[in-house]
Amino acid sequence: MLTIEGLKKSYAGNDILKGISIDVNKGDVISIIGPSGSGKTTLLRTMTTLEEADGGHITFSGIDKDFEKLTGKEVNTIRRNVGFVFQNYNLFNNKTALQNITEGLIVARKVKKSEAEKIALKALERVGLTDRKNHYPSQLSGGQQQRVGIARAIALNPEVIFFDEPTSALDPELVGEVLKVMQDLASSGTTMVVVTHQMSFARDVSNRVIFMADGHIVEQGAPKAIFEKPSEQRTKKFLTDILANV
Amino acid sequence: MENIKLIINFLGQLLPAINITLIVSVSSIILGSLLGLLLAAARLSESVVLRVLASVYVSVVRATPAIIMIFVVYYGMPMLFNDWFHTNIDGWNRMYFVIIALTVLFSAPVSEIMRSAYESIAKGQMEAGLMVGMTPFQTLYRIILPQAFVVALPNFANSVINLLKEGALTFTIGVVDMVAKAQMIVANNSGGYAWQTYCALALIYWVISLAIDKGVSQVEKSYQAKRKTIAV
Repeated sequence: MLTIEGLKKSYAGNDILKGISIDVNKGDVISIIGPSGSGKTTLLRTMTTLEEADGGHITFSGIDKDFEKLTGKEVNTIRRNVGFVFQNYNLFNNKTALQNITEGLIVARKVKKSEAEKIALKALERVGLTDRKNHYPSQLSGGQQQRVGIARAIALNPEVIFFDEPTSALDPELVGEVLKVMQDLASSGTTMVVVTHQMSFARDVSNRVIFMADGHIVEQGAPKAIFEKPSEQRTKKFLTDILANV
Repeated sequence: MENIKLIINFLGQLLPAINITLIVSVSSIILGSLLGLLLAAARLSESVVLRVLASVYVSVVRATPAIIMIFVVYYGMPMLFNDWFHTNIDGWNRMYFVIIALTVLFSAPVSEIMRSAYESIAKGQMEAGLMVGMTPFQTLYRIILPQAFVVALPNFANSVINLLKEGALTFTIGVVDMVAKAQMIVANNSGGYAWQTYCALALIYWVISLAIDKGVSQVEKSYQAKRKTIAV
């Protein structure tokens, strides 16, 4: 459904992504793990056109093109067909929870207001926040804000939703409610690509785990294989280090 | 008691000239805000040339005392127009020169206020707007600007009050505003009752500033109230 080949990105002479290739199939729940600075977030941001890639090819939603040659219209098509959940939620602070969700529907998708509200309420229900629909972001906890962020993404019914470390900015006691929502999404068949430090999510929820380091994919496979029998030394070391701290 | 009566009497004589002061201030505020908006956009733009031009403009204008700006515009512009466009603007209403000078003066701080207010709104909200399919302009207009507006308001009010005070130099090129009127009153009284006259003038400026402050905090409150309608 979504294929990326040879994706490259550098900042000020530093190669952050050194040719990444990923295949996302419908219904996949892919966890991307790896040490900080390995390029996970940049990968997500370039794949979704939030950052310009320096090289690589994308096949998605009828587009089959090198990243550099994407027209403005094609960039919009890509953005329209993906959802994005940010580490810092990035809710619209001047809009209520409900309006955060209806905004994209009404303004970008030209959905009628009453229809948009119906869709938004359904999305809020899925994340368990119906009773907070008229609250502004500043009146919500971090976990609630992130759940609104997720509702905003699912309401647009994208082909795939990208999660950029969705629980990293949360207080530990709030992580669970967000993971629970993500787990529900995964089991309902939503295609998801998740950059995460939550090894439990990677191991128990996803069907594929990608381990990245230094701008490369070091190895990828079923969670069981990665967590129990990693074939690469770097993966082993990373997992030993990170699991030692859990 | 006598003095208070005098001050009230002078108030009555000065107030008719307030319309000149208000016309000059309001026009400069509107034009200066528009120019400031353009400057802020230039400073935030991707073009290095625009950014450098705008920041040089802002740094020069901010360092120019109001009276110098008024003189430069008043004496300089007619020559410029004569040389460049072969147009004689000596006959222009002098008020226009003051408005132009104050517009230029006002645009500099206002552009800085707008720029910093814009930057104070997290860049992430722009990205979020793009990822729900909105265009950069839609996101700017619907999400960023309404928030930046509230952030900018108190500083903007300060700049407006500053402009109002700088506008008191309007009389220096012979426009009869309240300050010029006060000078005339003092002259008519052969220099007498000078401090009472100027006290009356100061009182008027104070009341205008007060009105601006009140107006702004009213707007701010209405924005905050909107968000407090639901208990947390």
